[in-house]
Amino acid sequence: MWGRDVAGLRLTFHLAGINDQNFLMRDEQTGSYWQQISGKAVSGPLRGSQLPFVHSDELNYGTWQSEEPQGTVLQDAAAYRFGYARKDWDVRMQRAPVVIDFREHGLKARDLMLGIQAFGASRAFPYDQVIREKLVEDHVGAERVLLVVGQDGQSVRAFRDRIPGISGAPEFYRMGAGQPGALMMDAATGSEWNFQGCAISGKAKGVCLEPVEVIKDYWFDWRNFNPSTTVYGRK
Amino acid sequence: MTSEVQRTRRICLSVLLACVALSLICVVYPIYVIRPFRAQGARELAVALVVMQFRSAATVVSAVGALAALVCYWRAQPRRWRRAFATLGAAFVCVLAALARVNIYELMFHPDDRPTFADASRTKLDKDEKVIAIKIGVAARAYPIRNISYHHVINDVLDKVAIVATY
Repeated sequence: MWGRDVAGLRLTFHLAGINDQNFLMRDEQTGSYWQQISGKAVSGPLRGSQLPFVHSDELNYGTWQSEEPQGTVLQDAAAYRFGYARKDWDVRMQRAPVVIDFREHGLKARDLMLGIQAFGASRAFPYDQVIREKLVEDHVGAERVLLVVGQDGQSVRAFRDRIPGISGAPEFYRMGAGQPGALMMDAATGSEWNFQGCAISGKAKGVCLEPVEVIKDYWFDWRNFNPSTTVYGRK
Repeated sequence: MTSEVQRTRRICLSVLLACVALSLICVVYPIYVIRPFRAQGARELAVALVVMQFRSAATVVSAVGALAALVCYWRAQPRRWRRAFATLGAAFVCVLAALARVNIYELMFHPDDRPTFADASRTKLDKDEKVIAIKIGVAARAYPIRNISYHHVINDVLDKVAIVATY
């Protein structure tokens, strides 16, 4: 997700091409071409410019709706409704052919990954493994990060693994039961934390962890645009 | 027949063929390079994007050149079938100039130029439907993946912030 205000212009984008199965956007205002995954202009008058980053999450609708009952939802365009994908689109697309492949870390081209590009580094987490483990404390570059699976068992969020105002590593644990909405507890403050990364009880109540953008992507695409990526759980 | 007339014919025909070649490259090369299910090399992609950027103007210049070459050739060439062949060539260049204004990918992926939104309370989606969710200030919005994976690009404004949702 990207902002559209760049260089004093409000840009309007169109899908305009494909680059190794990641699409290119063209802006109407300058005719520049932008890579979807990086938000960077790769050709045209704005070449080298970067779209401002806007944080987003990939969630199950039920989880999002319970968090944001006042939110709004993009509606189907009536003319195209019958062409829309089924809800398991990303899983079904795993059968689609690929044109580039990176046979590394024992991963297949269309294995679903959770990619984090932050703190000067890139790291990919196998989606299925994160879902199994439910809570992952790891690092991206020199920074500790926390990945948490929501109560729906499919949504994942990532946070910086440090509690604002508390020194030292917090050490989070997955909870079996507790306050409604509580998913985990930290050893440093004994607080319970919800899926939004906010403490809902204990010493840290009211404090929220800093969110980290995590992108669900196929391995070949993530690796292609993040050539120096490391992979969680793999050498 | 003078050698001067023959030379004029050759020059006009050469210009016409050069215009056909230039316009054809402008239209076909980007489609060849930037087609789905093909790996794109960095250099060829860069060239294709530059071609796409300038091809509207280039193909118009080419069409004007082709028409001028046709007039010139017509005057110097008495044989009808050769005139007709040259006319077809110039017409083809004009058609290419029109095609150069169309980005096939922008049509292929069905843009949703007027996205509409509704309150979550009035939206019927299964709870396990996946959405891309954003929150700016107190404004929250969800883009169902079943929808955005079809259109791929949604230009939007949320809480006065212009955003582009992509998938």
